[in-house]
Amino acid sequence: MLDIAVSSLAPTADPAWLLVEQGFTLVREHELESQFAVANGYVGSRGSLAEGCPLSAPATFVAGVFDAEPGSIPHLVQIWDWSHLSVSICGQPLRLDVGRSLEHRRILDMRQAMLWRHWRHEDDAGRITRFKSLRLASLADRHLLVQSVEITPENYSGTAILDAFLTGSATHITHEGVSVAVAVADRIVGPDEFVIGSTEFLEGRRPFEIEKGSTYRLERVAAVYTSRETTAPDEIARSHAESAISRVTDVIAEHRQAWQARWHASDVQVEGNSRAQRALRFAAYHLLSSANPQDERVAIGARGLSGPGYKGHVFWDTEIFMLPFFLLTWQEAARAMLMYRYHTLPAARANAAYQGYGGALYAWESAASGEDMTPPFAVTLEGEVIRILTGEQEHHISADIAYAVWHYWEASGDERFLLDAGAEILIETARFWASRVRLEDDNRYHIRRVIGPDEYHESVDDNAYTNGMAQWNLDAAAELAEQCAMKWPEQWQSITRRLAVSCEEIQCWRQIARDLYTGFDERTGLFEQFQGYFDLEEIDLSKYANRTAPMDVLLGRERIAKSQVIKQPDVVMLVYLLWDRLPAEVRKNNFEYYESRCGHGSSLSPAIHALVAARLGKMAMAERYFRQSAEIDLANNMGNSATGVQAALGGLWQAAVLGFASLHFQQGDPSVRPNLPEN
Amino acid sequence: MKSRCLNATRATTPAVAREQGNHSCPARRIETGIVGRPDRAIADRRGGIGNPFSYVGESGESEAELRRGLSHQTDMLDEHPLITRLGDPQEIIVQTACELKAEIIVLCKNSNSHPQPNLGRTATAVLRESPCPLILVPPERGLTSWYLHHILVPHDGTPTTSAALKPAVDLADRAGAELLVAHITDSISASKEPGTLTSPRYVDQPQYEWAAWGSEFANRLACICPLGHVHLRVFLGHGDPAAEILRLSERHSSDMIVLAWRGEWEVPRAAILKEVLRRAHCPVFVLRTGETGGE
Repeated sequence: MLDIAVSSLAPTADPAWLLVEQGFTLVREHELESQFAVANGYVGSRGSLAEGCPLSAPATFVAGVFDAEPGSIPHLVQIWDWSHLSVSICGQPLRLDVGRSLEHRRILDMRQAMLWRHWRHEDDAGRITRFKSLRLASLADRHLLVQSVEITPENYSGTAILDAFLTGSATHITHEGVSVAVAVADRIVGPDEFVIGSTEFLEGRRPFEIEKGSTYRLERVAAVYTSRETTAPDEIARSHAESAISRVTDVIAEHRQAWQARWHASDVQVEGNSRAQRALRFAAYHLLSSANPQDERVAIGARGLSGPGYKGHVFWDTEIFMLPFFLLTWQEAARAMLMYRYHTLPAARANAAYQGYGGALYAWESAASGEDMTPPFAVTLEGEVIRILTGEQEHHISADIAYAVWHYWEASGDERFLLDAGAEILIETARFWASRVRLEDDNRYHIRRVIGPDEYHESVDDNAYTNGMAQWNLDAAAELAEQCAMKWPEQWQSITRRLAVSCEEIQCWRQIARDLYTGFDERTGLFEQFQGYFDLEEIDLSKYANRTAPMDVLLGRERIAKSQVIKQPDVVMLVYLLWDRLPAEVRKNNFEYYESRCGHGSSLSPAIHALVAARLGKMAMAERYFRQSAEIDLANNMGNSATGVQAALGGLWQAAVLGFASLHFQQGDPSVRPNLPEN
Repeated sequence: MKSRCLNATRATTPAVAREQGNHSCPARRIETGIVGRPDRAIADRRGGIGNPFSYVGESGESEAELRRGLSHQTDMLDEHPLITRLGDPQEIIVQTACELKAEIIVLCKNSNSHPQPNLGRTATAVLRESPCPLILVPPERGLTSWYLHHILVPHDGTPTTSAALKPAVDLADRAGAELLVAHITDSISASKEPGTLTSPRYVDQPQYEWAAWGSEFANRLACICPLGHVHLRVFLGHGDPAAEILRLSERHSSDMIVLAWRGEWEVPRAAILKEVLRRAHCPVFVLRTGETGGE
């Protein structure tokens, strides 16, 4: 069924699977390129127009391959533009800014993971050309990108030139010596399905005759390899491309089959709300496109493979916002993402040591090696140089990763992962917290000078989220020790010997967890977000309800730091992650208190509020936040997605599945207690 | 009496104020309405590119007399055609601009002899009727020379405003001036025009986000209104738009403010334009936009 000739392929009929852009609005091109990106976790290519336009920023990225000038911060490498294609008809360029478009439509077909383009163009001489293209990044063979372009002269016969920017192959070598090779093979197929040449054969410039009413198709495949997989990436890429071009129909069929399997495991169906349905599929599409269960050396950056934003770096978003999706739909991918953290443990240990602590402190911004890549400074638009402290102080990331490891193990029962990698992460992160806390005169352990998820407040003491997660991390490591010693005594003994873990150390984790200051006030049932938070200026955010800028812009950095306005859920995030540990009243009190103080200056914020509000039965509020979260990439007015889609997509999926559907696990068994909006 | 309004001013062609003998724009016709006592009306020599200057007055005066009257201020007029017209200044200026197919009118915003913050009657009338963009010069600048180093361009993020900025970009290009593009965010809802870029609502990682947003704003502007060699910086302001424009103008020592205007003048429209014109210490270049954008 899936083995359909390229000429007969069409977009999915059900509009709930499609993201459609009608017409052409030049200035939106960057965000559309991000939204329409095709990727497979190994390679990702932005959905740029093949022929380009004044705002085109075509880019293709290979996951985990970073480059940097010496002394600068590494960014994801952009490889050669394999998909560029200039078409000339009777000497006239086929472009959106030449002649006129009778019809122009781009369709992201999420079900088939294909980007379609339908275009009818009329030149100044009245020649009408029909242009249909598709593009994909094969999920079945992650080294392959495929493009098919059909040209049909509707009312004329004449000559055409197909000029491909890249023919043959090209190699990019990073400063660290990683070679990335891309090889392209193509063929031009005439009306009777006879191959009439290739762009290389035609030297990209030789015109060929096209007849009125006949369809001519360029099929092109690009094969990408790096020196991480093979010693001869260029050679392998070339032979792979040459072999794939002769079996494009099969390549596409295998890709469709692979996506069919993914959607079978992942699709969430929403009845009665097509916008929510599309937004959820958009979220799942980009998450699935970004993951690669076969590569443990990479994780998903906060913008996936859809753009150059954040230089491709990996943040806490990966474990807290994206990983839950994979835990429930694609555990092999979740495992690979956590193995990336295992492989970067040496850098995390070094980072902790560098800051004067023990154990492992994961990088706030991580690239290939796991070293911290957070820029120490930023320049504002006003030209003001500001210190960026997240790399030095946002330590909760270590507990976030430990939390993800534990939940992966719980969800998968993957003993091998736990014993080979997960346990070490839990132990080393617990060790970090044990060294990070200080016992003070009140006989409580404290964690001073940190930044919680709420980054409006820097260098705070005893951030509730950080302390709460550290406490969880210490307890979890002690619990792990108990369980491992009981279930797998030999392997555990080997681990404790290798990592020099003693019973006293485990006892110490328990004790620190018990005596760690949490900021919880028994009287009010509230966590104080950090010491002194309750004394800060209260600001009525309802007065800023129609704002179009973040609150720190409106109030200024100094004032916001002295106010109770928070950037994103902090205590509420803790409530969500430690839901079952907290009494219902505490969850509700804290949500109500902090929700009204949240400025939602982070794209991650609305989704978590939607999730918690739904669990608390505040359905109108949950729906409003859900809509707000869904609009982050799709609302088309903030330019947020110009450099790539946002990790918040994972939050949106969680809001639907873990919030509205309220999927819970009790002793490993799933149960659903839906809290659905009335509409 | 030389004229009814007699708003003596230094009227110049700032488009070329920085380059002597700039011949890069021979096709540009900048009509300069000099309304005022000839001895107070001057033009910088380096503005001389053959643009006609108009003298508008109620009583007749020969061109030679006018040139004599202006000569102790500047010899710039030696290199320029000087058109003298009699009659109601506002009518004559608009009429002359139409006849000459002028691309810009440069005009004093009000009388120096009767200083007032608001736009003068003649300037108001010309602004409303003008067939082309206007540069309104505050009279208090007197005869001090000024050059275009920084041009402040408030921008609402709409493609329409980007398209309307072409004369300002041309001006900056010829003067070698830098464009300071400022997007002022407030609580007013963003335009619904497709392709409008508002301020970012979310700034997850400021170390990347601001640069990316500024770059996106600049790219969107440039693809509609090509910038040539003009250097551009993007700023984000917030709060009362007029106050913010004036603050940014002062902070960055802008030599001119460019405002896009939809052409509606009656209250409550054009509030930002009126306030900026009232309080700006530098010339204000007013560009009419299409249906949307501007104020």
